[in-house]
Amino acid sequence: MKKTTLVLALIFAAGAVFAQKKTTSSATVTFDATTPKDALPKAENKTVIGSIDTQSGAVAFEAAVKNFAFSNPKIQEHFNAPNWLDSDKFPKFTYTGTIEKANKVKFDKNGTYKVQVNGTITVKGVSKPAKVEGTITVADGKIKVAANFSIKLKDFGVTGQAIEAGKVAEEPSITVSAEF
Amino acid sequence: MYFCLTGSQPFISGTRYIEFMTNSTASSQIARWLHLGSGLIVLISYFLPWVKWQTINVNGYDLAAGNFFQLSETNFKLGNPFPQFTFTFYVFWLIPLLAALTLAFVWQNKKSAFPAFVAGVLALSQITVYYLFTNTLVDLGVGQSALAMMQPAAFIAAIAAIVFILTSLPFNNWLKKFAWIIIGPVIAFASYKMGEKFVMSETFTNTTDIKADYTLNATDLIREFTINDTAANNKYREKIIVVNGKTTQVERLSDSTTTIQFADSTGSYIAFSFEKEQYEQVKEIKTGDQVSLKGSCSGSIYSEILGTTAITFKRATLNKK
Repeated sequence: MKKTTLVLALIFAAGAVFAQKKTTSSATVTFDATTPKDALPKAENKTVIGSIDTQSGAVAFEAAVKNFAFSNPKIQEHFNAPNWLDSDKFPKFTYTGTIEKANKVKFDKNGTYKVQVNGTITVKGVSKPAKVEGTITVADGKIKVAANFSIKLKDFGVTGQAIEAGKVAEEPSITVSAEF
Repeated sequence: MYFCLTGSQPFISGTRYIEFMTNSTASSQIARWLHLGSGLIVLISYFLPWVKWQTINVNGYDLAAGNFFQLSETNFKLGNPFPQFTFTFYVFWLIPLLAALTLAFVWQNKKSAFPAFVAGVLALSQITVYYLFTNTLVDLGVGQSALAMMQPAAFIAAIAAIVFILTSLPFNNWLKKFAWIIIGPVIAFASYKMGEKFVMSETFTNTTDIKADYTLNATDLIREFTINDTAANNKYREKIIVVNGKTTQVERLSDSTTTIQFADSTGSYIAFSFEKEQYEQVKEIKTGDQVSLKGSCSGSIYSEILGTTAITFKRATLNKK
């Protein structure tokens, strides 16, 4: 009995040591829809949940739409409004994907790797394929992930005169940074 | 006395008005009927839809009745940015009241220019406000064009209000009459744009200076969200809350920002994010410390990645350690 317990404990301990999926709940995602006409539509969310599987190269992110903090109260209200991102109905943005040629990234060795992730982004309940280029930096056991890409608001059913009038960018830039 | 537009110079007496009406030419009779007709249209159209926001008809009287911003808030989450001035909208009840009063006065051949002017000016001002606010909704994606969303009754009311002012007696002082026609929309437009500029230049008040709506223990707050997230989200979202508890994770990132968490035994957690400017404030907080944090609650999401409920706060500040 004691032997069995010991073996089980060792298996769990080994599992923990060699865990392939790493998670964080403090990744940062910025949303920048500023234009020369309006510098206000810009926000940051620093409580984004993320995961990376160092074996399979699977990555995933979840961001609470309502936790994007804008400097201006009215712009934040507009961002969450039903005709924009409708955060009451669709409370999170998600991204799931897989790093191409993940085996070339040495997660146990210091280094910087340019990677491409093929995945799907879901905004306002609409899912679209998204190829994202990013950088993975491994330093002293920490894995840092950074990516910068843009989305077309129209693709996710977000439209409005503000976009046509050039007050909100048609293709806001999204940056992601996470430490695992 | 029969007062002109400014109310300072009498330009026709009540007796002269009756004489004028008695000896009136055919054209002045036409003008009188036009005046009566336009006044009646101003009155009736006030109770008809002036604008349509998607499927929602908004009537002329909805601004004075307090429904205007309520409809916008409920359906498009765009409320009155200055709720403290809501009472001023009662002034628009003067449109039907003064239009009715003018009709009664004209019918009895009594002096009536001043109430007609006020009713007309207010109607034109209100139509301007409806148009401008609808334009703001169009910015939010509610429809394609504010002009297309304005309803026939609004255009009819605008024309009637102009005719109502122009056909008031006497038939002179055209410049002043045009000034009255223009002044309402100009003031409404300027006030709206000033209000809009103010709203767009505003920033969030520092959380430290805001009185908390709720003060709760971390475990109680997590429990409320895990038992019924819909009810908890409706109750706490965008509210300023003080959360007391023992920290379960303190994470300082390389950009000097800090995330402090309270988690329960199931892994569900509350996360407060602090800006780098607050580094000094929170630098000594460690995992296991009893702290009191304050922030704007963003509600919860269920994380598929972690398999737990995540409740997040923005604009966080240290309430006390």
